[in-house]
Amino acid sequence: MSFTPLKNLLTASGAGVVGFGDISLAVSDEISHLDRAVCIGLERNLNKGTVELLGALQKNAAAWLKAKGYRYLCIPPDSDRIKGKFVSDLYPLFCHKTAATCSGLGWIGKNGLVINPVFGPRISWATVLTDAPLPPDAPISSERCGSCSLCVSHCPSGALTGKSWSRKTPFVKLIDLEKCRSHKKTSRTVNNKPNCGLCINICPYGRKNISPEGVS
Amino acid sequence: MVTEEKKAELLAALREGVIQYDEDLVKQKAQEVLDVGMDVNTAIFSGLVSGMEETGRLFEAQEYFVPELLMCADALYAGLDILKPHVSQLDLGVRGSVVIGTVEGDVHDIGKNIVKMMFDVAGFTVYDLGKDVPLDNFIEEQLRTDSDLVCLSAMMTTTMVGMQKVINQIKAKNPNVIIMIGGAPVSSDVASKWGADGYAKDATNALSDAIRMVSSLKKLKEEAEARKK
Repeated sequence: MSFTPLKNLLTASGAGVVGFGDISLAVSDEISHLDRAVCIGLERNLNKGTVELLGALQKNAAAWLKAKGYRYLCIPPDSDRIKGKFVSDLYPLFCHKTAATCSGLGWIGKNGLVINPVFGPRISWATVLTDAPLPPDAPISSERCGSCSLCVSHCPSGALTGKSWSRKTPFVKLIDLEKCRSHKKTSRTVNNKPNCGLCINICPYGRKNISPEGVS
Repeated sequence: MVTEEKKAELLAALREGVIQYDEDLVKQKAQEVLDVGMDVNTAIFSGLVSGMEETGRLFEAQEYFVPELLMCADALYAGLDILKPHVSQLDLGVRGSVVIGTVEGDVHDIGKNIVKMMFDVAGFTVYDLGKDVPLDNFIEEQLRTDSDLVCLSAMMTTTMVGMQKVINQIKAKNPNVIIMIGGAPVSSDVASKWGADGYAKDATNALSDAIRMVSSLKKLKEEAEARKK
């Protein structure tokens, strides 16, 4: 059966980017029957609208899969995780970054965030895991930041190690989380949450009026 | 006055909503139950809980997996949140309170949460200690709340052994407390050897065991009343 209608539906409903990923190697035992991911990305405006639209898109995808008789599990956007739900115990089992790279929608930059070629790191993600045999898009398995390390040099806490991500090599530490967190505590808050975001703002990918080539 | 047809329709929809993990449908139908003035207890037990029992069966038959089971439980709670404030007395014939938690060193609480839900639904007062709970807290909490039941959960053999200590200490202080243990490494042999009153292998078993436990309590209560007469 064709799954193109699902992609079309999500795009028509307002998704910025949509991809299908083969995640069979990345998914943990409890949910290993769900070996495909529908990855939905939306340009981040850091407002309620973004999260609401992502939630609606995710619901659309789930309903479409359910109607066709497939299983699914929605992993909501990170900023929209209602605690205390039974199913929220399963959210930590899978992360959006894996879905995004496996679906070919981006790579992990030196700032530890998914970099999408069009929107850069300015993107919010929602994932729907499923057992539907979705034809996977070509994955991205290494970074495409090249010699650019603006995020590393601009990080006020020196938390970024400057190393490069690749799916093929063992885990390397990109961020010193302690340094990042302790800096965030000192800065002004947004929506009552500690905030920094310089490594997002500085990234040339998706920055308005600047091409990546022009900066490096 | 609500017609019998309308009642049957709402009960079927609540049941189906839980089985199909359709939170929106459950919420909508639960609200309808209130709007038409239908008996709330019936809606909970013949609608929501009936759906959860079927979910348990589907899980046992491996037609449902863990995500579905949890989504069904969320759907049930969505309905319960709407209906429960309108229940003056949820009367299952048993009143009681239960202390529940996952023992020290263990952070697996999916099964524990499902069991907790069943007690919640059955009208028990539930004192949920959460996960990774120091053993002494179970004993203290039982004494503090004078609960009839204590439920201990463990997912790992290494943490399971702590249960015995808790059982011994609680039973020494109050032999009438009913203790139920559960989790993957626990067996009925272990349960009886350690002096626990009930045992559940996994979330599904816990679910049916919790129901069974509630009805056996009900029987105990009836027997006690019969003796009084």
